[in-house]
Amino acid sequence: MEFLRPATWQEALAAKAEHPTAVPIAGGTDVMVEINFDHRRPDHLLDLNRIAELEEWETGEDTVRLGASVPYSRIMAGLRTELPGLALASHTVASPQIRNRGGVGGNLGTASPAGDAHPALLAGGGAVEAESVRGSRLIPIDDFYTGVKRNALAPDELIRAVHLKKATGPQQFSKVGTRNAMVIAVCAFGIALHPDTRTVRTGIGSAAPTPIRAKAAEEFLAAAMDEAGLWDSGKPVPPAVAKQFADLVSGAANPIDDVRGTATYRRHALGVMARRTLGWTWQQYRDHQGSKSCA
Amino acid sequence: MTATQGRVRPRAIGTPLDRLDGRAKVTGSARYAYEQPVGEPVYLHAVQATVARGRITGIDTEAAAAVPGVLAVLTHRNAPRLADTRDAELAVLQSDAVAFRGQFVGGVVATTSEAARYAASLVRTTYDTQPHDSVLRPDRDDLYAPESVNGGFATDTEQGDVEAALASAAVTVDQTYTTAMNHNNPMEPHTTVAVWNDGELTLYESTQGVHMVRSQVAPLFGLQPDEVHVVSPFVGGGFGSKGTPHAPVVLAAMAARLVPGRAVRFALTRPQMFFVAGYRTPTVQHIRLGADRGGRLTAISVDAVSQTSRIKEFAEQTAVAARMMYAAPHRRTTHRLARLDVPVPSWMRAPGECPGMFAAEVAMDELAEACGLDPVELRIRNEPATDPETGRPFSSRNLVACLREGARRIGWERREQAPRSRREAGHLVGLGVAASVYPVFWMPGSSATVRAGAGGRYTVSIGAADLGTGTWTALAQIAADALEVPVERVELRIGDTAFPPASVAGGSSGITAWGSAVVHAARRLRETYGNAPPDGAEATGETGDNPATERFAMYAFGAQFAEVRVDEETGEVRVPRLVGVFAAGCVINPKTARSQLVGGMTMGLSMALHEESHVDGRLGQVANHDLAEYHIAANADVGDIDVSWIDEDDPHVNPMGSKGIGEIGIVGTAAAVANAAHNATGVRVRDLPITLDKLLGDPGAGNGPAVRRR
Repeated sequence: MEFLRPATWQEALAAKAEHPTAVPIAGGTDVMVEINFDHRRPDHLLDLNRIAELEEWETGEDTVRLGASVPYSRIMAGLRTELPGLALASHTVASPQIRNRGGVGGNLGTASPAGDAHPALLAGGGAVEAESVRGSRLIPIDDFYTGVKRNALAPDELIRAVHLKKATGPQQFSKVGTRNAMVIAVCAFGIALHPDTRTVRTGIGSAAPTPIRAKAAEEFLAAAMDEAGLWDSGKPVPPAVAKQFADLVSGAANPIDDVRGTATYRRHALGVMARRTLGWTWQQYRDHQGSKSCA
Repeated sequence: MTATQGRVRPRAIGTPLDRLDGRAKVTGSARYAYEQPVGEPVYLHAVQATVARGRITGIDTEAAAAVPGVLAVLTHRNAPRLADTRDAELAVLQSDAVAFRGQFVGGVVATTSEAARYAASLVRTTYDTQPHDSVLRPDRDDLYAPESVNGGFATDTEQGDVEAALASAAVTVDQTYTTAMNHNNPMEPHTTVAVWNDGELTLYESTQGVHMVRSQVAPLFGLQPDEVHVVSPFVGGGFGSKGTPHAPVVLAAMAARLVPGRAVRFALTRPQMFFVAGYRTPTVQHIRLGADRGGRLTAISVDAVSQTSRIKEFAEQTAVAARMMYAAPHRRTTHRLARLDVPVPSWMRAPGECPGMFAAEVAMDELAEACGLDPVELRIRNEPATDPETGRPFSSRNLVACLREGARRIGWERREQAPRSRREAGHLVGLGVAASVYPVFWMPGSSATVRAGAGGRYTVSIGAADLGTGTWTALAQIAADALEVPVERVELRIGDTAFPPASVAGGSSGITAWGSAVVHAARRLRETYGNAPPDGAEATGETGDNPATERFAMYAFGAQFAEVRVDEETGEVRVPRLVGVFAAGCVINPKTARSQLVGGMTMGLSMALHEESHVDGRLGQVANHDLAEYHIAANADVGDIDVSWIDEDDPHVNPMGSKGIGEIGIVGTAAAVANAAHNATGVRVRDLPITLDKLLGDPGAGNGPAVRRR
């Protein structure tokens, strides 16, 4: 196994172009596990740890450009206002040591349905900045996950950053595991309210071959809230609406039975998490509306 | 008065002395087996069978042997012939037969561990595969009764007329409980560094007993015991899996024979520890209890099924605790085994009591519910006056005091008798209790030597073990008090066959047995030389016999309480509080003792909520054979663990008045958690571990016709 250690981003892109099967490694929290288990033995490992700009973020007018290697612990500390859903999800990643090493680029590169960042990325909305010696492009997050542990990257591309929409409303993340830390999610759910567009987006983890959105649930909820004028009135979401939303989230999943949980349990838990996180975010929205009208 | 009798006057004993080896451990200067300086070592990596049953038809080592740095490739074709192959687990590479998946079929010795491991991956083995049978099911028609069960206990017992008593009982419980296969998983893997010099074998071994390794390894290689030297000053945990030799030490010694004069280093990988280092068998326990309306037991019946391997029998003594725990005139216990194509089961912390008391103590909770009784009160009502099995008095039995103190500490009065009636912030909250017990085993055969040095200093030598438990410290405290000198004047030497024989650190008997020998030696020294022995004066003492073991039933007892919070909708379960109160005689060192008991209860919590080795029946192996998928409790799963003990003076057990505390901490914890989960949710989980989906079951569904009230 060759270990490539480019000093700059341009060198990294050149190395990936030369060795398209090279496996990028940053925090190593997924890759090292796979190598240890002998699940993969790539000809080349491409170490991105010398490339400082991958560990930086820039906050623009409407978006955050989050470097692929910004560790979860820094997302938790520094981006909870701009990216509250991702910050909450980051809290649930593994252990403090791993949160100091791992970043969103690794989650995206591995594209495991159990990656903790995915539901928050799908719910918040954004795009993956992929780059190669041929140039740079933005892949909408909705188009990024293409299959079990597969993504839309071309063989010569590396993930430079993710462009994430700054939160315009409350976001929440919830995860069920078989223990309280260091655990692969049984299933996870993210929700983001987008008052600017009067829409709600969702993300489901560990309950389908890829991370997915519950689009029917989102559309139903947006229509129901619009119809009832809830965005303006700030009135509670009627229980029947919340239940229908939860049922549609459960229905969107396509889970399997495994040692961590049954498909039936996963569907059930997703419904619970959908209803709860909707309740939490809507309460936050109402509190915010209330404080605005008082001001 | 002879030297073994009479109590040691406690001075250092009972004080929370810091670990004497603590500094060496935290600074990394304590040398574990793999770290022993042995010149230029070479490295061994094992080759494992990839079928669960069959015969090797071909083994191609050419590619492995060609790897640069490879010195030797071992297979059954070129391995040294062992002088004694009666123990099939230790008869490594002696035939072409494969008895379980993961069994050693070869090994590679190389100048680096990387080369050895890589070369091992290149060994190509072909098999004549036979159908295998690796999953325990209780309904098989080929279960058999072993001659005896682990510890030498009778396989079956019967007193009175259980069937008649059950038929006429006012209240009965009739349920089946299961515990999962668990793997010991000490932090330090099983490790051997082996070197042959002039026909003698030296083993730096991670073990619970250097003399035990010597006595079992020597005959395999046709050696006299004193031709095998075993060194093991520090051990990173064993939990029973290092209490008997397993295949790795034999493979390492064989490999070292191929490179005489050079040390071979061998450490199992974590996944390999799920195949060749022992484990706790899964159990299926059918329990029937009969009682009068007041909850007084009239009948106890336990039928326990567990698994063993086809090549070597291990019979978990699952039902033995039910023989002595509670009063009942009619009782029967049975043990049956399924012989499977699986690795050899072995000891794991409190074998027998740990899985047995899960089932028995959940059954008692069910009985309390059926009788409408407080579960603490039910246990108190069933206190026996004497050991129900033997009729002997207990040397001390303070279960009731433990129950009362634990109830006080957990706030038992706040427990709602009716399940599913306490809600806090979306969580169902419940309290549960279970009793703990562990025998006081008297292990003869240990010797200790005390030697007087200059300046009133003493060297105390015994081939005992410290698994991380605190022997270095506690045994020094005992020696100091036996000699009536400060601890600073005692230099303890343990963990080496150069020192006098010591029994294995097993059955929570170490401090009891070794401490008795040390006390005996110290008293002999004093008897012979008085209080100012000349430099070089020496005396040896033995554990000897304790006639009181013939007259008394000797056990440590405890009570465990759990507070469990369950998310009503997702079934997520948290255990914010565990309370354990123990009656274990004189506690030698409160600090290391507390660590032992907290550790045992943590392991019990882990057993309750997480630990389960999933056997893939198609492959015949544990699928989750690593710590990513075999879950043990993480730091975030462990809440407040409140450990205490009551003052207990037991003049009969040994000169220190101590009982073992290494294992009792895990006994009963899982039952307390399961009982608390039932109190919280109304769902009775009878199958460990207690996972989320099980707690979402239909409340009360488990309380159907199997509990009968007249």
